[in-house]
Amino acid sequence: MLDALLGPYLFDTSAEGWFKRNESEASRAWLRSYLARHPMHFSGVTVFERARGYALLWRQARLERRDQIEAARMAYLVDPGRVWPVDAGISVIAAEITALLPQPPTAPRRTHRMVESRQDRLVRWRFDAMIAATALATDMLLVHNNAADFESIRSAIERAPGRFPSLGPLRLTRCGSIV
Amino acid sequence: MRQDHSTGRRPPTRRTTLTLPADSLRELEQIARRRKVNLSTVVAEAVTEAAQEHRARRRTSEFLESYRNAFAGFSAEELMILDGIILESPAKR
Repeated sequence: MLDALLGPYLFDTSAEGWFKRNESEASRAWLRSYLARHPMHFSGVTVFERARGYALLWRQARLERRDQIEAARMAYLVDPGRVWPVDAGISVIAAEITALLPQPPTAPRRTHRMVESRQDRLVRWRFDAMIAATALATDMLLVHNNAADFESIRSAIERAPGRFPSLGPLRLTRCGSIV
Repeated sequence: MRQDHSTGRRPPTRRTTLTLPADSLRELEQIARRRKVNLSTVVAEAVTEAAQEHRARRRTSEFLESYRNAFAGFSAEELMILDGIILESPAKR
């Protein structure tokens, strides 16, 4: 169990997604305890991924549904949390990660009727590297729901400590284990 | 009384009169005796913690409310797109 009071923690896009789907009393109690002391911290990459999602859905939607999507987008943007920009330092760390691991460790996602293209999977992998780099640069534990990607990054950093001087290890916690 | 560690000064205080449940007051007096501090210190700590808890509840409910508004009415596939996973129909590729 992750101590809510020991934060602040950085939340990956997948973690935010997990909280929105999981409204159990235990997860609410954890959030209440966490928010008593700390704001939710996110990378600017998470804001980018969400904003792009809203924009794509808006463009694909029929006219009568666009107002609902725009209202949802505005609700998200009212308080996106404490957002960390991708600055020069974070960019350098992310570049090292993607040089170590140029290809994503898992295949593109798919549902029964939709697929993620290889290009989009690669882009998402690079975004994960930027989020991991933000956690390293800010020395925050990264809360995620994407073990395959982030555990690969953690292992790679441990195998090449010389490329990440005075940084790390990448501290990770999966959403399912915080409550 | 707690000190502001950044300045070393105590936060400003104000006198007031409160009506408290007798049982709670007795319990607070016992705590103060055990800790060898005055009653005001114990009451101030309790009030500060209660205010913090109240703020936390409000922030949590605001947070969950904004989540509901930001993510309600979307299908599972649309939520994946909002999570940064761009899905498309194979026919479009």
